[in-house]
Amino acid sequence: MAFLGEVFSSEIIKKHVLDPKGEELGRVRDLVIVKGDPLPVIIALIIEKKNKLFYLAWTDLNIFNKKIISSSVYSDSLLIYEFKEDDLLIVRDILDKQIVDANGAKVVRVNDIKLEGYHDKAVLVAVDVGMRGILRRLGIERGGEDLMRLFKKHLPFSLISWNYIQPLHPKLSSIALTVPRQMVSELHPADLAEIISQVSHKEGASFFKDLDVETAAEALSELEPDVQADIITAMDSERAADIIEEMPPDDAADILSDLSAEKAQEILENIEKEEAEDIQELLGHEEDTAGGLMTNDYISYSPEMTVKEATERFKRDAREVETVYYIFVIDKDEKLIGITSLREMLLAESDCLLADIMETNLKTVSPGEDEMVVAEVVSKYNLLAIPVVDENGYMHGIITVDDIIDVLLPRSSRRKRRKV
Amino acid sequence: MSRWKRILLFMAIMGPGIITANIDNDASGITTYSVAGARFGYSLLWTLIPTTIALVVIQEMVARMGVITGKGLSDLIRENYGVKSTFFLMIGLLVANVGTTVANFAGWAASMEILGLSKYIMVPAGAIAIWILVTKGSYRVVESILLFACLLYFGYVISGFMAHPDWSEVFRSTFVPDIKWDSEYIYLSIAIIGTTITPWMQFYLQSSIAEKGVKKEEYSASRLDVIIGCSITDIVAFFIIVTCATTLFSAGIRIDEAAEAANALRPLAGNYASLIFAISLANASLLGAIIVPLATAYYISEALGWERGVNKTFKEAPQFMWIYTFIIVVSALLILIPGAPLVFLMVLSAVINGLLLPFVLFYAISLVNNKTLMGEYTNSRSYNYIAWGTVATIILLTSLLIIKTLIPNIL
Repeated sequence: MAFLGEVFSSEIIKKHVLDPKGEELGRVRDLVIVKGDPLPVIIALIIEKKNKLFYLAWTDLNIFNKKIISSSVYSDSLLIYEFKEDDLLIVRDILDKQIVDANGAKVVRVNDIKLEGYHDKAVLVAVDVGMRGILRRLGIERGGEDLMRLFKKHLPFSLISWNYIQPLHPKLSSIALTVPRQMVSELHPADLAEIISQVSHKEGASFFKDLDVETAAEALSELEPDVQADIITAMDSERAADIIEEMPPDDAADILSDLSAEKAQEILENIEKEEAEDIQELLGHEEDTAGGLMTNDYISYSPEMTVKEATERFKRDAREVETVYYIFVIDKDEKLIGITSLREMLLAESDCLLADIMETNLKTVSPGEDEMVVAEVVSKYNLLAIPVVDENGYMHGIITVDDIIDVLLPRSSRRKRRKV
Repeated sequence: MSRWKRILLFMAIMGPGIITANIDNDASGITTYSVAGARFGYSLLWTLIPTTIALVVIQEMVARMGVITGKGLSDLIRENYGVKSTFFLMIGLLVANVGTTVANFAGWAASMEILGLSKYIMVPAGAIAIWILVTKGSYRVVESILLFACLLYFGYVISGFMAHPDWSEVFRSTFVPDIKWDSEYIYLSIAIIGTTITPWMQFYLQSSIAEKGVKKEEYSASRLDVIIGCSITDIVAFFIIVTCATTLFSAGIRIDEAAEAANALRPLAGNYASLIFAISLANASLLGAIIVPLATAYYISEALGWERGVNKTFKEAPQFMWIYTFIIVVSALLILIPGAPLVFLMVLSAVINGLLLPFVLFYAISLVNNKTLMGEYTNSRSYNYIAWGTVATIILLTSLLIIKTLIPNIL
């Protein structure tokens, strides 16, 4: 059966269901849903006739829309239905339930449910949480619209997409969103961070519980230092370590430097050894210097590597690294001898050596250099990142242009660093 | 559990039951008792025993629902009976409760006038004070203040003793009904039992227990809280009737308002008794002006699923706080505007409350018997007989009261 278009559950409930001859089978009492990919799917209608409940499978339906619901079977082939705890029912389990956001704060109730056709099936696409939903349930949606028009206002549609609702299970007492209430649309981690800094820090921490590690790490990097510290302190060290591990080492170091010494130590112990060493190293530098700004997260290959090999390696390494536009060429003694860019590498013949295509006239800064000097150098040569190299030619890390911007902007999310 | 542990546990759980029941003695409750005592002496005292029983039966069920489900009554009604029932119930209760709040501000204004303070200063001052208390205070602080304020009801007990009643006569009337076939007598006895149980109490009690987060294991403490609360309430009512009966009834003074009682007491029982009476009325009125708007804010927010709670800030639960603010501001203004239709509003409120009470009680008793919600904590069969009997009696009395309110000359 083809079901196209959209319909609200309130337009279906209590509707007559007809058999092929047009006789009434009963009235719709509830809809049975199951988990589907990507959205929950309706598998059956529960219909009521003379105080008895019957189960009408979705596949037995001919027509399903807000005007007519008709089945291809007769009443004698319907099965009696009894409410089961394990079934997920729209009216019993979803409608009128409390919606809580990712922080557990109560937001609103499910006033109505929107269904849409998808591959011959009806799927749940959204919950209606607005006044419109209530008016529709009361049967006066049109009246409400007219009334609002008198005041030259529009009755808004307030729908929350099903994508923002956490997986349902039977016998739930409230329905949880995957996002805080302030946001019902897709958000960039930077925007997420803004929202988190608005909610109280305690709520902010509980918010992070529900994010995947990657998103959490990205959102956390964007927060103000004091908020970061509060949120991390409120988490258990293991979870905090997972998130920090996911962050670029320079951001990680910034956060750790704002924590109490014990907490920072505890977290470092939970981080993978290599990662932890990188962070430790960064923590050793003074703030406001090149060393304090840099990250040791960059791509570096040996000069003998061919472009083909380097490209292969790059595909693996680039996933984990923040800044990938420059490839630093380092010899056996860990001395920086050249730089090439992603563009050069892609344009070069595949059997070329990196040594052949690299730039050797290098612009570098020393770890102790003042941050403003670093900014000047980066600005003068239009660099995306600048390597930090000591007097012996050893490479310590890179400073990326976005960290420079943070230094230059007046309010700047400049991070105060304290040595651990 | 040791005795001390038990007492400590009870102290922690105590609050919602005592507060709800006590504030049932708000301005209109006190008026009813004062009028009853002044008009019929001790002979209506017996009505307090059935009143106490009815109050305990209903409040216990509601408290039990709050503990077991952790949700408010309005939450449960919306989740189990849908939008339509909830919507009309809420609209009705909103109007009724504005009326009740107005009555309480009127009581506050009248008692302030007795104390020689202008209502144009004291009504705004009272309104601002209770607004700050709830919007800025935490649940714990608000509860402690309310519990302390409940102690002030003992003023009525003191004034009762100061009136020097004939105790043997008092006790006889309490336990032996002395029914008079007089239309006003019947009306007042119905009023005493009928006005004791109001819709807002059920919502407030359950919501505050839910907000407090009382656990299943602590339920017996909550039940004790309810029983103590209901008993104190009727002991206070008892002393109001006794005071007015001993003094005003004996002197043949008829009154229509609680504030009149306070004034009339001065020559009969002395300045102090009069003062205590007035202060207690002021206290009761102000408490009512806190709890009734608060109950309204709770059940509307629950019905629509908004964040709620005394613990929340304006930012966290804006709708909850705005409803509370709105009701207080509107009620206080109505008292201050000369010529506002106060009597009409209070009658309207009494009628709506009476009309809605059967639905509220019906929902409450059906929900408390819902196995999916309550599990093993549903009513037992025998308790259900008592509960349904109480509900039926209250509904009958309330209906009579509405008829009498709408058609005053019927009896």
